Amino acid sequence: MDFNFISFLHPAFWIKAITLIAIGFYIIFTFVVFTQVKVMAQILSLPHAGTVLKTISIIHIILAISLFVMAIVIL
Amino acid sequence: MTDIFVAPKHIAFPDDPKHMGIFSSFSQNPEGVSFQTQKPHETIILFLRSHFVTNLSWIIIGLMLISFPIIILMFIPKLGIDFLSSPSASRFTTVYALFYYLIVFSYIFISFLHWFYNVFIVSSERVVDIDYSDIVVHNLAITNLSHIEDVNYTQSGFIPTLFNYGDLFVQTAGNEKNFEALSVPRPREATHIIGDLIEKK
Repeated sequence: MDFNFISFLHPAFWIKAITLIAIGFYIIFTFVVFTQVKVMAQILSLPHAGTVLKTISIIHIILAISLFVMAIVIL
Repeated sequence: MTDIFVAPKHIAFPDDPKHMGIFSSFSQNPEGVSFQTQKPHETIILFLRSHFVTNLSWIIIGLMLISFPIIILMFIPKLGIDFLSSPSASRFTTVYALFYYLIVFSYIFISFLHWFYNVFIVSSERVVDIDYSDIVVHNLAITNLSHIEDVNYTQSGFIPTLFNYGDLFVQTAGNEKNFEALSVPRPREATHIIGDLIEKK
């Protein structure tokens, strides 16, 4: 008989699920930041700034996705 | 007897474009700066954003947020708490610590963007006010120089006087929106530049 469903009752499972949902929302937020930086770079063109800020935003997205993957693996 | 009223210095309008630093808050004839609706013959006379000193609050808060977990980790062994010894607790702590630092990074990055993209531009034809008030809100307001009725500034307080920054107000005719550039450096000079441009129009 399979008792795996009992893992749903374990608090660690719910903590992991909530953590993953929170990081998931954070990933969406990082995409919003990137979109906004892209829009502002179109509205106002400043020397070197657009490229630098877009690169930082992309690094931000990569870090958030990496954290999500890391949380899935180690939690 | 010497005259106690000193006339303001003549504000020059250098024709040659000047290189603008990435963190510059006051730039006349900046080189390489343009905005979306700029016309081909339109040149930027003055570029303003808040003085860099106004960033000190979020820089200090950011540094405090960065050092906060480090301080806690230093004090935990002294308090005799040993919650990091179990493998599952240390895994959760690692993930939460990294998540915390990502959120702190977001706070710092967004605060910087808020300062960086709150810009006031005076071109040869118009005044452009770009507001980046929130991560999902930005506002762009434009008016022709001929619609401007009055330009004034206020500079009050110890720190604004020390670092020579203040609030610049541009009043427009009729029902058009009034413009304001808050905490901009050298507000007196900026007021004179806009005033001279209006007179020329």
